[in-house]
Amino acid sequence: MIKIPPAVLSRVSKPARYTGHERNSVVKNPAEVDASFALAFPDVYEVGMSHLGLKILYHIINRRPDAAAERVYAPWPDMEAEMRSAGIPLHTLESFRPVAAFDVVGFTLQYELSYTNILNMLDLAGIPLKSADRGDDHPLVIAGGPCAFNAEPLADFIDFFVLGESEEAVDDVAAAVAEWKKAGKPGGRRGFLARAAAIAGVYVPAFYDAAYNADGTLSGVAASHPAAPPVVTKRVVADLEQAPYPTKPVLPFLEIVHDRIMLELFRGCTRGCRFCQAGVLYRPVRERKPETLLRLAQELVDNTGYSEISLTSLSSADYSCLKDIVSRLIDQFKDQGVSVSLPSLRIDSFSIELAQEVQKVRKSGLTFAPEAGTQRLRDVINKGVTEKDLEEAVGAAFRAGWSGVKLYFMIGLPTETDDDIRGIAALARRVLDIYREVNGKRGARVSVSVSSFVPKPHTPFQWYGQNDMAELERKQQLLKSLFKDRSISFSWHDAHVSFLEAVFARGDRRLGEVLLAAWRLGAKFDGWSEYFKFALWQDAFRETGVDPHFYAGRERSADEVLPWDHLSAGVDKAFLEREYRQALAAAPTADCRRGDCRVCGVCQGLGVDIIDWGVSS
Amino acid sequence: MNVKYRLAITKGEEVRYVSHLDYMRSIERAVRRTKLPAAYSEGFNPHMKIAFASALSVGVASEAEYMDLELTHDPGADAVGEALAPQLPPGIAILRLRQIPATGQPALMAVVNLAAYRISLPLTGGDAAMEALGRFNAAAAVPYVKENPKGKKEIDVKNYVSEIAADPGPDGLKLAVEVRITPTGSIKPAEVIKVLVEKFGLPADPDAALVTRTGLFVADGASRLTPLDI
Repeated sequence: MIKIPPAVLSRVSKPARYTGHERNSVVKNPAEVDASFALAFPDVYEVGMSHLGLKILYHIINRRPDAAAERVYAPWPDMEAEMRSAGIPLHTLESFRPVAAFDVVGFTLQYELSYTNILNMLDLAGIPLKSADRGDDHPLVIAGGPCAFNAEPLADFIDFFVLGESEEAVDDVAAAVAEWKKAGKPGGRRGFLARAAAIAGVYVPAFYDAAYNADGTLSGVAASHPAAPPVVTKRVVADLEQAPYPTKPVLPFLEIVHDRIMLELFRGCTRGCRFCQAGVLYRPVRERKPETLLRLAQELVDNTGYSEISLTSLSSADYSCLKDIVSRLIDQFKDQGVSVSLPSLRIDSFSIELAQEVQKVRKSGLTFAPEAGTQRLRDVINKGVTEKDLEEAVGAAFRAGWSGVKLYFMIGLPTETDDDIRGIAALARRVLDIYREVNGKRGARVSVSVSSFVPKPHTPFQWYGQNDMAELERKQQLLKSLFKDRSISFSWHDAHVSFLEAVFARGDRRLGEVLLAAWRLGAKFDGWSEYFKFALWQDAFRETGVDPHFYAGRERSADEVLPWDHLSAGVDKAFLEREYRQALAAAPTADCRRGDCRVCGVCQGLGVDIIDWGVSS
Repeated sequence: MNVKYRLAITKGEEVRYVSHLDYMRSIERAVRRTKLPAAYSEGFNPHMKIAFASALSVGVASEAEYMDLELTHDPGADAVGEALAPQLPPGIAILRLRQIPATGQPALMAVVNLAAYRISLPLTGGDAAMEALGRFNAAAAVPYVKENPKGKKEIDVKNYVSEIAADPGPDGLKLAVEVRITPTGSIKPAEVIKVLVEKFGLPADPDAALVTRTGLFVADGASRLTPLDI
């Protein structure tokens, strides 16, 4: 058991990140389990502890008598320096054992800019960074989460990836590890990887060879091992009603990012926004029943003592029984000092009515995401809202007493012109006008937040060449020059960050060396502006002779082999291509949830169905 | 009729590095888990009516924390203790509790005027330690500039700490320090150690000190009453 000296804890910021003992954490005797997992989130405690996916896996693994799951997060740089100088290896928060002593280290891949933290954590754990350098006594290093759907930039470092929803897959992995260990680790590490490759949804990159054309494009990623399927398809939970839900989550002392009950209403979203990766990866829509949600909510309140229930989903306002569940939750918990909140709003007045109901009196800001400034561009991205929708929603919000509105947009979308940029400013001004129309005076506060579009794998825009940094910055400046009114505040994202995200989102195996070089040069916590150093990444690209623009800014042709073509989210490439063409024609595609099937391939290919209690009950 | 309970609780090793705010929040959540009839403030953003005596710094443990908890009806002292004890996080235990008058009592924060601490301090050098403490005890005044985000303020440490008792052991010194809490301010144990090291040459690394609050009192002359005994 690792003991951190008091002098270290008294020097670092927020030492409670490192001292464990949180209620509901599960401490098992390592001698009594066959498969031990260190669940790792490659960011700081407050971020990692907020992630629902890891809470689910922690719960499922710890339900098994033969397995244990413990937690580990990236130490903040002050703590990292202390650990390195005192020779303290990376360890878990339950048993305070070194991560290197576990059977499995599992990383969740939520965003590309956390990759250097993965290398840093492996290094702090004393585990060889490259898969090929690990021996039979090193942990299996595995990964899942949305970024696993383009696993290639991490192919050198991760022993295997699990694609899709891991509720069932993690049980398969735990059982396989336990079995392999009990059998005396036949075949060693490679022997286990061959067993793992036979599990549905598991991708073992070492069992695939990547080959390239003369122009640098990929000619293929081909299976080179008999156990490896040519295409690995994601796992999907057919019925969330049957899926385990963590109603006894670890309760932090520190205030974490989402410090409240997270109640997942449903998974998936079929609105079909063409920029959205989650909308593809988590298809189809599967809802939980209101009765199930009420039961889970009560258990969560009883086990946590939290005073707020947040209804989480990709688009919570789309839950078919939302009005019903909101009023029943409020009813059930009003005497228990527990409130209900809705994190994402759809742009319509129905949402405003609900928002009014959930936060009866507090009028904190409302957030809307029109994403694009003109109707034409919203049609291109298939964001099914009109200016009229926004006007009505904002008008309803102002009539209901709100005065602050946050608007989210993206720049750099396909087909975008300066008129679309000007449209963002016009829309923001229109919101101010609506306030005046409703209240007869000025007084609205509009904050406009603009991110730069990053094309993502498995979306209709996966072929699109990202706007280069100079163009993104020009558009940011253009927009800035259009905001004259002090009632409008404007913020935007660093274009360098979006560029690097784009490189890794759609990169291939050759980026492994770049990642390693950047980490050696000191890159870490790249998602944090105070630590992001673009110059260091430029050095890493130069050092390795890799051209980042090849990945970010190049429009790819329809027949190009993409680095994730052998990894399937169940959605056909032909569907995505069709959607890209529809986008360029500014032609909308309707939601399939209640309308016609758009034949994206998920339900047919994976044997699952949309579950929508609003129509079937 | 609302009732009020005063509890003596601990902040043990497990929660030593938890901040005062986080400590309070974790107790509030524990109270909510008990389903005891906690009273809440009126208003847009209701708060549980729970009050603590004196904030502890991050890194300081305690054998004597006090809190007042208001309930909307009285389940009885035994029921309160039995409901709360199993819900508290590891390291937080109930030492004593009793009902106090629901109204007319001054706030806990306002009555306590003395805090006692035990400090374990590994030494980095020889016998100079006892001499350093002797010099501190003999000093008539010890000026010190307190720094916080709001600014600098010069204080006399001796206004708050008259004498420090020391017990040398194999692992270093065990100090017993009583710190006065006055309406115009006080001094933190960490600041006392800093003064001893920087101004009196105490051979120790202030970062390595382990501080534990051993008592909170309403002191009047030689009398020392705990908030549960007043």
